[in-house]
Amino acid sequence: MECVVQGIIETQHVEALEILLQGLCGVHRERLRIHELCLKSGPNLGLAASEVRLLCDLEQPEPTWTVRHIGGAMRGAGAEQIPVLVRTLNESKVSKNALRFFYSLGYKLDHELLRVGFAFHFQKGAQITVTVSSVNKMLKLHATDEAVPVTPGIQLVEVTAPASSENYTEVVAAVSSFCEYLAPLLHLSKPGVSTGVVPTAAAAAASLMSDGGGTTL
Amino acid sequence: MPIKWILHWQPNAGTTVNSQILTEVSQCAEGINGVKEGRWKATISFYRAITREQANANEFPRDFLGISLSELPSKYYLVIRGQRLVLEAESSIQTIMEKLQSYRTRVALNFEGNQYQLGDFQLRVGKVAPLHSESLRGIVMEMEYIPISSWEKSHQIMGEFFDLWQEALSKRSLPGHFVHIEPNFAEFGLSDQYTAQHTAVQYASIMAQMIATAQSVQPVRN
Repeated sequence: MECVVQGIIETQHVEALEILLQGLCGVHRERLRIHELCLKSGPNLGLAASEVRLLCDLEQPEPTWTVRHIGGAMRGAGAEQIPVLVRTLNESKVSKNALRFFYSLGYKLDHELLRVGFAFHFQKGAQITVTVSSVNKMLKLHATDEAVPVTPGIQLVEVTAPASSENYTEVVAAVSSFCEYLAPLLHLSKPGVSTGVVPTAAAAAASLMSDGGGTTL
Repeated sequence: MPIKWILHWQPNAGTTVNSQILTEVSQCAEGINGVKEGRWKATISFYRAITREQANANEFPRDFLGISLSELPSKYYLVIRGQRLVLEAESSIQTIMEKLQSYRTRVALNFEGNQYQLGDFQLRVGKVAPLHSESLRGIVMEMEYIPISSWEKSHQIMGEFFDLWQEALSKRSLPGHFVHIEPNFAEFGLSDQYTAQHTAVQYASIMAQMIATAQSVQPVRN
């Protein structure tokens, strides 16, 4: 399982967000460059349609591949009240022929994306990961070098943390309290519940930039 | 990783495997001064596509296997033999396959038995039986040579050791013999340096051979 919230930020404020995150987490950012392929089952395969993602980490000297399956979100009145989406997530690192493998099983490429940005991994009540990335689409199949932004000027921010059925309430609490620190710059909500950019972003960014510039890190 | 050959027992025409043969093979390993060193196990699952209509089943691979090896419990290997494809994954891929609900495991076979050390060689002799069943479906043997990891370079010494083994076993006049199938690893995109993926491909090959043998001895039905 994982807990997840998402938000968007204007690219002009990303640098300020990075300064804020750096200050909050106390760790250095990692560069992020992930080629994501979304595969869907062909028409005759399975009793219901299924979907699986292949993630190729292009930041590694030798690109590494991961298969990711995102399951259903937790439901019920309790789940609706919490500000974080809790969903099942399974991942497996795989050898580099994973795409050919899923094609052979009868899966088809639905779409592919390239996420470029940075990530922070740190422990703050839970093992939290914050990624800030621009989402790009490929004009030609698999041509990651010629990718263009899907939403120019806007980047996606995602906060995730692994959880289990035993500890998810604590993880939800940790994620939502962390999100409060980011509130002046961006608002984070459950995926699919878009809340747009926040009006205070410009002022908060200006303040962070002037402060960040004067502080030796 | 040290190279190994995986061999299976081929019964003589008109005979089948039985536990007495397995006992004799194990005794033979001890007879050539093999030192018993615990157990080993591998499990092979057969995956089949889940389709709404039976007619569509032929669109999807029918020789799709999942393999787990006791020496690498965190890994899982998926082989589609007809397409010369072997995928190495973490064992969590099994959960993903379950969640996708597009393929299900039909049958699972356990390969398990004793391990013997003979100098630089390691022999693993075991029975092939369906999961949760004792019924013997075959006999398998892993022959590993620890100092070498190149398939090509190990060929001569492995061949010599196999001859020695065959000779020792022939004294027992058993109704069958061990067969070594050498898959074309290059077709699977594997190099000369031995890896667990080579092991998975060998298991898939002997599985295909064992199924073919079993089908050929079954009486023809009208």
